[in-house]
Amino acid sequence: MTRPDESDLIPIGAAKEKLERITHVILVGSGKGGVGKSTVASGLALSLSRVGQKTALLDIDIHGASVPEYLQVGPPVRSNKNGLEPKMKEGLRVMSLGLFTGSLPVPMRGDGKQELITQLFALTDWGDLDYLVIDLPPSMGDELLSAFSLFSGKATLALVTTPSPGAVSVVSRLRRLAETEKVPVKGVVVNMAYVLAGKTKTFPFGKPNRRLLEAKFKSTIIAEIPLDPLVSTRGLSAVLKGSNDFSRAFQKLAEQISR
Amino acid sequence: MHELSIAQSIVDTVLSEAQKKDAKRVTEISVDVGQLMQLDRNALAFALRLLMTGPVLRGARVSVRVKKASFSCRKCNQEWGMAEAQKQLEEVPDTLRVREPDSKELPLHFLPFLYPAFIHCPRCGSSDIFSKEGEEIQFRRLVME
Repeated sequence: MTRPDESDLIPIGAAKEKLERITHVILVGSGKGGVGKSTVASGLALSLSRVGQKTALLDIDIHGASVPEYLQVGPPVRSNKNGLEPKMKEGLRVMSLGLFTGSLPVPMRGDGKQELITQLFALTDWGDLDYLVIDLPPSMGDELLSAFSLFSGKATLALVTTPSPGAVSVVSRLRRLAETEKVPVKGVVVNMAYVLAGKTKTFPFGKPNRRLLEAKFKSTIIAEIPLDPLVSTRGLSAVLKGSNDFSRAFQKLAEQISR
Repeated sequence: MHELSIAQSIVDTVLSEAQKKDAKRVTEISVDVGQLMQLDRNALAFALRLLMTGPVLRGARVSVRVKKASFSCRKCNQEWGMAEAQKQLEEVPDTLRVREPDSKELPLHFLPFLYPAFIHCPRCGSSDIFSKEGEEIQFRRLVME
């Protein structure tokens, strides 16, 4: 008689099968709230999808899922014989816990978070993917550690910061954690790097010093994304379709990621 | 429908376990499913038998047992079972129910660990609750030779 050990719980077996059909996993994280991780993850996923990469976006922010809002997708989710169907947004496959809870709060302690994330990943019908972009939640708790472990060996981390010294200080701690957990860092995305008013750039969080930031993070800056107020009024997807600094920065980011 | 994909996951896991252990034949697969998942145990057993083709799995004995769910409140220590939780689950808005080809299922059917979003303490109303068991799917016995 054999009783498979805990690592052989059924969803984990299914997760391994799903992972085999995905070429790259990009974790988008900062360890901190308010730097625009979900905007960067959603914009990156849409940009990769637009250049023809088979891409999906998985939002694992249990308590504050915001990807459905950014991409204007909502419940209900459908299910077919292969599992839960991701929502489609201009060719991008989107899955989020927010699609199951809507506006309900999700109060939850540590127990069960890893299983919840594993189940959501394992039960989704992703198909074959070139890129799975993961929108990580703030902090360095269960969700982040679960993602590190679940996607181990296939994942690279894109660090998101603003130029603010407070953000840089917290995000550099995630850089150190990635090192100890042996998760390769793809590079640093400086979000809200500037605001464009006409042709004048202003720097609400201070002018990013590329050399100092790269030294601090021991990584290359792969994109500097401006703060574009039109994102909140017109929506992320519409602004990305235009010809502007914001969309060009995301195109560059997608190129850097797929390099 | 979900029973079929769960059955497929079980079969995949058993086959990979058999390969790891270099087993020629699997003779028994016993599985515990948490009550919170609200799976149809007969449908799951049927789907398993349907998928157990090939020399390694053919003829293996299949047993599916439902593990009762029970909850406890961290605030007032109240304890309750699935019957009480079910009343709250009936209130889950229709828009959040997952569309299957011929039915609408609760999100917990797929993601049982999401229960704190839908279940609260029936005595004090707190959402700071925990489930003692009933949200997992696990092997109880797997016999191979």
